[in-house]
Amino acid sequence: MHVRARGDSVKSFSDRVEIRGRSLWSRNAVKGVSLRGERLKRDGRKEWRQWNPRASKLGAALLKASQSGLLPEHGSTCLYLGSGHGTTISHLHDHVCGSKNHLNGTIVSVDISSRCMRDMIRLTKTRPGIIPVLADCRQVQEITPFLSRRVPWLFQDVSQSGQVEMFIEACNRFLEENGTGLLSLKSASERDTQSAFVHAETALLEAGFTLVEKIDLAGWEEQHVLFHVVK
Amino acid sequence: MKSSHLNPTFSELSNISFRTDFEGGGPALTVKLVWDWRFARVYDENGDVVDECIWVGNRTPDTLANRLALLMRGRMTLEAQTLADRFPDCIACPSIEVSSWPELDTDESVLLQDASVKLAERGVSESASDPDYRLEHLVQATEEMRSAHNTLESRVVEWAGIFLPSLDIDQHRSRIASAISNSTSLQEIGESLDTIPAEAQIGPKEWSAIHSLAASTVKLATDMDRMEESVRELSEIHLPSLSLLLGPLLAAKLCSTAHGRARLARLPASTIQVLGAEKSFFMHLRQGTPSPKHGHIFQHSWVCRSPKWTRGAIARMLAAKAAIAIRVDHFGGKPWTSKQVSDIEKKVGEIRARKSKR
Repeated sequence: MHVRARGDSVKSFSDRVEIRGRSLWSRNAVKGVSLRGERLKRDGRKEWRQWNPRASKLGAALLKASQSGLLPEHGSTCLYLGSGHGTTISHLHDHVCGSKNHLNGTIVSVDISSRCMRDMIRLTKTRPGIIPVLADCRQVQEITPFLSRRVPWLFQDVSQSGQVEMFIEACNRFLEENGTGLLSLKSASERDTQSAFVHAETALLEAGFTLVEKIDLAGWEEQHVLFHVVK
Repeated sequence: MKSSHLNPTFSELSNISFRTDFEGGGPALTVKLVWDWRFARVYDENGDVVDECIWVGNRTPDTLANRLALLMRGRMTLEAQTLADRFPDCIACPSIEVSSWPELDTDESVLLQDASVKLAERGVSESASDPDYRLEHLVQATEEMRSAHNTLESRVVEWAGIFLPSLDIDQHRSRIASAISNSTSLQEIGESLDTIPAEAQIGPKEWSAIHSLAASTVKLATDMDRMEESVRELSEIHLPSLSLLLGPLLAAKLCSTAHGRARLARLPASTIQVLGAEKSFFMHLRQGTPSPKHGHIFQHSWVCRSPKWTRGAIARMLAAKAAIAIRVDHFGGKPWTSKQVSDIEKKVGEIRARKSKR
């Protein structure tokens, strides 16, 4: 039996993602496989995989957030814009789809870079439930064919100029009422670095979103803020 | 609900464009045409299904990937077109807006997944045919080899210099490495470089070390030439006009610095002028140092062989012409011939003459 170290506080986001002590863990959907050398930990029949907050902004946000509701429900359909090499996607898959997608989730992961898409395609081989889309996030028509209805959860991490407008457009098109929208904003991507966060906040409020929390990722990712909004 | 199973032919797949005016006010025409990759439906104003057309083709990941590619370009499926012909007044509406739109069943979502992987794989392999990526690797590899060659060569020269005390190293610099690699002893090097080697004893192991270093320096130089040949070849195909104007190597370098031809073609001439001088350019913006007059474009002989005070003007003019040349290349214009280039050369002469009078 696994004996937990004394004083190891546990904060669960769900039965598949939790913070133990200071580190974040997700239940590994592909047992024994560590994607980028993350630590694996056995706990009876379960296996946990460490979620590195330095490699994943969603992970960093989970560690720093004070409000709940950052993660989607099990088995829901998620839209992830700017999936990169798939580090965050793999943990999201642990949470939403689980082993062999027994939770019936779908993650539509969009990226424009063919280099990143290679890694994503490799990831989908072991993790059913992920739909890789090689497309430009600005072109909504390129994403629509992969979605049969609006999604309850949308994440955007594209590090491009004009990312706030992209996010608002994407939420208007794809996010359902009361859906969760997460925007990871890198101030250095905008022309005006100083006031990027203030501008983003006003733009989001003007677009009619409710700002749940503005999570400063300092400590894990510099000059990054994750906006948690509800439509 | 009426279902119609059609067996459409490909000739029916005409280029009907996608109507996007579903948000526009217009008259109270609320017959909506909705489709996704599975089927198309027509809804009346009460939200009831009036007509439906289902994709009955062979459902494989490959056929679905074709379909998705079509939809990604904003086109209609065959089923949607059939219904559009039947209801000419209907308004196109994205399926995502229809709350009663059926969800995918398990088979369908597995199929969609397989097809999306197929489609993404196609996209990835298409990127291999993009000369921009290849040119970038070629240019970067050449750069890296050049810097490696310079480092190794200077090491060989200094090392060998110890054993050849009376040799003018700087004058024979380029010959030393090849002389060593073609010799079997210190004595032989002395003969081939016409000098007297030092008395120092060199052991066989040390000799073989210095010999193999020299040999790899020489090999690196030939590899570099081969690499440059390849850059020239690709650059002359991908950037014909720019290569003619600036030379293929410089053209390729500009293209890779700008991250691709499409981006280079959209850059203003003033940016092309200072491309490659980012450091001094941002120093200029931040600290107000004098602005750079030329970046990579300095390597062109019209710029670097001109008197210093004329270089800024020549670089500016040349960058403006380069901007035109790259647009000709990218947007499918008629490639330049030597006539345009000689016209520009004439202008270079004019600038030099004008500036020298002052």
